[in-house]
Formats: sequence, C-alpha cells, structure tokens
Amino acid sequence: MYQALLIFKYLTSKVMPLLAAAAVMLCTAMVLIVWSVMGGFLVMLLGSGRTLMGDVSITWPVIGFGHYGELIDRLEADPMVAAATPIVETIGSLSLPDGRISMVLVNGIDGPGYARVTGYEDSLWWKPLAAPLPKDKDRRDWRLEDPDGDAGFWKRAYQDGLALSKQDEATGVSRPAAVLGIELSSFNRRDPGGWYQPLHWDVRAEDGSIRLETGPTFILKRTVTLNVIPLTRQGRSVNSVARVLPVANEFKSGVFDIDAKKMFIPLATLQEMLKMDQAGRVAPPIDPYELEIGEDGEETFIEAEPTAIAPARVTSVLVRAKDGVSPEALKDQVRAVYVAFERDHKGQVPHADRGGIHIQTWREAQGVMVAAVEKETLLVLFILWFISLVASVLILAIFWAMISEKTKDIGILRSMGASKGGIAGLWLIYGLVIGLIGSALGLGVAHAIVWNINPIHEWMGRALNVQIWNPEIYYFTLIPSRVRPDHAAIVFAAGVGFSVLGALIPAVRAANMDPVRSLRFE
Amino acid sequence: MTLLSAHNVFKTYRLGRVDVPVLRGATLRVQRSEFVAVLGSSGSGKSTLLHLLGGLDRPDKGSGVEGGSGGAVVYNGKPLSELGASGLDAYRSREVGFVFQFYHLLPELTVLQNVASGAMIRHGLVGYRVNKPKVEAWARELLASFGLGHRLRHRPAELSGGERQRVAIARALVNDPPVLLADEPTGNLDRKTGASILDALLEHRRATGRTMVLVTHDAEVAARADRIVRLDDGLVVTGP
Ligand SMILES: Nc1ncnc2c1ncn2[C@@H]1O[C@H](COP(=O)(O)OP(=O)(O)OP(=O)(O)O)[C@@H](O)[C@H]1O
Ligand SMILES: [Mg+2]
Repeated sequence: MYQALLIFKYLTSKVMPLLAAAAVMLCTAMVLIVWSVMGGFLVMLLGSGRTLMGDVSITWPVIGFGHYGELIDRLEADPMVAAATPIVETIGSLSLPDGRISMVLVNGIDGPGYARVTGYEDSLWWKPLAAPLPKDKDRRDWRLEDPDGDAGFWKRAYQDGLALSKQDEATGVSRPAAVLGIELSSFNRRDPGGWYQPLHWDVRAEDGSIRLETGPTFILKRTVTLNVIPLTRQGRSVNSVARVLPVANEFKSGVFDIDAKKMFIPLATLQEMLKMDQAGRVAPPIDPYELEIGEDGEETFIEAEPTAIAPARVTSVLVRAKDGVSPEALKDQVRAVYVAFERDHKGQVPHADRGGIHIQTWREAQGVMVAAVEKETLLVLFILWFISLVASVLILAIFWAMISEKTKDIGILRSMGASKGGIAGLWLIYGLVIGLIGSALGLGVAHAIVWNINPIHEWMGRALNVQIWNPEIYYFTLIPSRVRPDHAAIVFAAGVGFSVLGALIPAVRAANMDPVRSLRFE
Repeated sequence: MTLLSAHNVFKTYRLGRVDVPVLRGATLRVQRSEFVAVLGSSGSGKSTLLHLLGGLDRPDKGSGVEGGSGGAVVYNGKPLSELGASGLDAYRSREVGFVFQFYHLLPELTVLQNVASGAMIRHGLVGYRVNKPKVEAWARELLASFGLGHRLRHRPAELSGGERQRVAIARALVNDPPVLLADEPTGNLDRKTGASILDALLEHRRATGRTMVLVTHDAEVAARADRIVRLDDGLVVTGP
C-alpha cells in the first residue's frame, strides 16, 4: 500500500521520473520507427518482385525462344500452376512529348494474361477511385473525379491500360498503345501523400472560379515514339525500328527504378518490331536472275519457296503459383515441365541443363538486393538491442540517483517495519510504471511519426534542405509508413522489460541499505 | 516485570582500520509502563543503543572480551536475534515506535498520510484497504490529541519544527506499539517548544501507560522521567 502511495507521489512531484519516462519514450519510439521503416522496406522489396514478375520466370534473354504457346499450355495444365504468360523484354529509347529521350526497358506483354500472373491490374495508375487515399484529406487526387467533365474517362483509361490499346478518336480504330512507368515522363508531380498530379491548366471561368483542366500536357492525350533494335538469331543488329504509340495509361509498382525506366506495349507489337514474330524461312534461289518462261511465253523470276516456318519468340515466360504453393516448389515443377518440353523440341529451344534456360524464383531474381536488405535488417536489430541496453543503463542511472536522493526515506520506512522485499518492490514497481508510461508514449510517438513519415520527410527537404530518403538509392518512391502491431507489441514489452531491468540493480541496492546508515544520511 | 532489555551489548564501528568502540557491554532493563531516560553526552552512543533496542541494528556478535557470551536485546523474554528478518520487520512495525531528533517525515506525503504510513506498512495492500476507515479515524484522533486536527492535508514542509515532531510522535503511535523509543525528540527545538512536546508525551503516557525510553543529553529533559540512567564510556550506569 505504501508503495502505491509513494510511487504516485514520487511520480507527481519529481522531475526525475519524468526524465526516466522520457528516456524510455525516446528509445522505444526510435526502435519502433527504425524497425518499421527497415522492415517495411524489406516487405516492399519482396512484394515488388512478385508484383512484376510472378513467382517463377523462365528466361532466355535477347534472342528468346519459340513454341512458348505450347510451353504455356503445358504449364497451365500443371496443378501447381495458376497461370503463365509470355513476355518479350528489350531495351529501347523513348522520345517523350517534351522532346526528352530516355533509355527504357520495354516489355511486350499480353495485357490480360500478364495481369493474371502479376499485379499488373492493380499497378495501373489512372483508374476511377471511389475513395481518396488515406492521407488525401483534401481529396486532391485527380482520380476521384473524371477530368474535364469527360464522363467515363478514367474507366476507359483503365480498360485501355489493361488491353494496351487505344481508340483513334478520328477513325475509331483501335491501335496498339503504350503504358509507361509513372516516373518515366516528367508530366506528373508526386505528392508526398502518395498520389500524382498531372501537370494541368488552371482555367478561369467567366464567374471567376478556377477550374482545373488536364490540358495538352496530360500524358494520356499524347503519343510517344519508341525505338528498338531488332537482333538476328545470331545476335547481329538490324536497322532500328521506330513506332509512334499513343499512351494508354501509366503504372506504379512503387519501385522507383522500375517506375522510372519501364514501359509496356502489346506483345505482338514488340515481337513485330523486333522481328520475333512468326516468319517463313526461305531458301534463296541459286541464281537470282534465272527466269522461267511460261507456256504463253511470259517470263517470271523464280520465287523462293518457304522451307520452314520460324516460330514467334519471347524472352520469358512468367509463371504464377496456385495459392499455397511456394515459389521454390513451383520452380522445381516448372523445371520438370520444361525438361519434357525441351525433349519434344530438341535443338529448337534452349536446353534445360546448366548453362541453358534460366529458371528462377522472384526471390532469386532479386537475390543480391534481398540478401543485402536482410543482412542490414539483422544489423539494425542488433543495434536496436544495443539501444535497449542503453535505455536500461539510463533508467539505472536515473534510479540510482533517485534512490540516493531518497536514502533517508528508505531508512524511515525500514524503521517503521518495511521489509527489504517491500523496499525492492517499491522501486521495481516504480520502474515498471515508468516503463509502461514511457513505452506507451513511445509507441504513440513512433506511430505518429511513421504514419506521417513521408510528409515529414518532404517538409525536411523543403525547410531544412535535407533529403535522407533518395528514391533513386532506396528503390521506392515512398518511405514505408506502417507500424506492424506485432513489432509494436514487442517493442512495448521490451521497453517495459528493460525499464524493470534498469530498476533492478538500484532496487536491490535500496533493499540492502543499512537502515541506520540511511537515517544518518544527510 | 522487564519488557525490554539490553544485556551486555557491544557495538564497535569500524572506520577504515580503526575500531571505534561505542558500546562496551551496556546493560539496560526497562520495566513495563516505565519511562526511562538515558542521559549521555554527544557521541556517547545513545542513538546506537536506541537502534539496538528498536531492532534497527544488531549488537556485535560474540565480542565479549569482557562479556563472554556476547550481548543480546530481549523483548518480552525473547531475544531479538532469534527473530529472523521478517520477525524483526514485524517487531519494528508493531512492538516499537521510533521518534527521531530530526522528525524524519516523508516529505511527499501529507500529515495524515505520514501518520497512516506506519499502518500501511503493517497491514499490506489488502489489509490496509480493509482497515483504512479504522486506521484513518485513529490517525485523526491521535493528531487531534497532539493539537494538529486542522493540519491533516498539509505537507511536512509547511509545518513548524514542533508541529513536525508531533506528527512524528503520532506516526510512532499509529500501530499502538507497547514501546515508544524517542531519540532526543526535543533536541532540535527551542526550550519552550521542547517542553510542550515533552508535556504532550507525558500526558500521553499518563493516559496510556505506554513504556517509553528517551535518550537525551539534556539533564533537564531527563529529569522528567521515572528513572534516569547514564551512558558513560560505553556502559550504562545507574544513578544521577
Ligand atoms: N555508521 C557509523 N560508522 C562509524 N561511526 C559511527 C557510525 N554510527 C555512529 N558512529 C559513531 O559512534 C559514536 C556514537 O554515535 P551515536 O550516534 O550513537 O551517538 P549519540 O550519543 O547519539 O550522539 P548525539 O547526541 O550527537 O546524537 C559516535 O562517535 C559516532 O561517530
Ligand atoms: Mg544521537
């Protein structure tokens, strides 16, 4: 009883316990912030791989391989496989409407098929949005309403993005279209809250009100010119091929590197541009000038006969696992399917042994990066334990000082019959209470900071000219901003635990003080 | 009948390598309901003796060059050395009450809480909840009898020295201990205030017949006791 009363009185009448609680608060907040950002980073990194690659990829770069339609049929017949889709990957240069030319990673995809294997559908940016993003308090996201009073605009943009085609307004004919990474053109401005504003016009109406219009800089109303270099099967380059493409939509994977460098166009279009589509192979005539004279005396050149059909090629087939199948298990299965496939197409497709076709899980494809981040997280966790220890020592120091100050009280209590255990309990409970208060505050502070970390970072950049999170280095455009409840619980428990631990030694000292000496203490 | 006694107790403090013998076989018997004054000069070991009697400290073991078996403090026929840690805590809580020269109140607690704190320690968390009304009523009564009925919510820092000492006395009595041990309770007060404190103690004793041991260097204070002993050269000597 006296413990409860004294703890309450000490808490409310002294600065020391406030300092101790503040120390606990700062330590727990720091640990939780760092953990949330680092952990979130890893989760985002892992997630992004899967979003854009599916679970397992089968790749023969640059040249590609044929008969992929049959491979996909075989894969999709397998019970472990949910879906498979072909892609062609190459590099090209892209002329943007503002005259800028960018090197781009071009992916030729079959839109709906690609969407079944990857998170493509969700990554399409321009689409109707029913509710604003969590941080968009002022409803500034353009997607909340169709622009320029054009009803159904976002819906059409979304469908165009999925199909990678766009209707020509003049002719009504559907044309192949491009979907660009959202950071690729400089026609959007990123808001720290996580949404994008297209460059726009402020149109003043007659009544003086301002209306926002997309204007001619809106990327969805523009075309881009893509240049790629086809290669022969032997890897020799052929003259480059250019194509003007309307922009159907933009996508955001959240990975800065990808959003700034990648674009999608229809698979057939890219195959055609790269001369990877189906082609007849012809045997050239022995004498090109040899003429054939018909019965009517008409002379014709001898036509070359097609000797074989070269099948269309792709550089990768991406495979998605059924729910509950691990990427590693799927990879083994995919390899088995490929081995059988290759047996039936001996010499026509890359062989299945080592040094042949690349079959990788998404984790392996990003192996170096993931390993680095995992190591870093481990290192950070180690540092966090160290910080916790520092918090403990802080509590210890503060309690040591408080107990020294309260030596006489301890003597008085002992003279009134308080036991050693009672005195130790007094200080331990005191440590517990400070730990609880400090950790609870720390959790609150961490949550507030992590939740608002992007606006805070933005503000730091603006006001203090400090940019810690450079998207080009850290891979993602936004800093992870979620506190995991289990991490919060662990940090809370650790904060309380280390506070009690810090109070332990001073408590034992207090309990073992000689009461007579304590009373003589001045 | 002897209620509390010290038999041939020794106490030597060690300062570095130097032994400072304070008590060298002191013997004191206190009868039930007796008021004994221990008179001694400063540094003679009065406080030390009182701490031994109150179970706050233990006499040296087997240090009997002269004493043989070593000293013992005996309460109600039972040596304190046989009590063990929790027994000693209970002894300090229930059987004796301490009053100190410098009051030793807990500065964060109010007057009433200070007085009740002894009962809180005695009863523990649950027990105190049960006994709270009874204890607080008794604490109020004690404080009223020492003329502090209107200062219950004040902090010690807001009281005069004499008032503080009255609070300390009320605190020592809250568990109704059979023995009150007072260590120069008037030593820090002016003559007049000291006399009034002493009056209050004597009045209380007349009403309750409580056993009291009071140590002082002031012969005038000692003179008001039933019996005076002297502490001289580590020994208790009887007579004026
Ligand atoms: N913990 C200790 N360590 C060393 N010496 C001590 C200790 N406690 C007391 N002493 C010494 O023992 C002697 C007796 O001390 P004690 O406090 O019992 O005297 P006292 O008679 O109460 O004196 P006063 O009238 O000044 O209160 C003193 O000389 C003191 O310096
Ligand atoms: Mg003394």
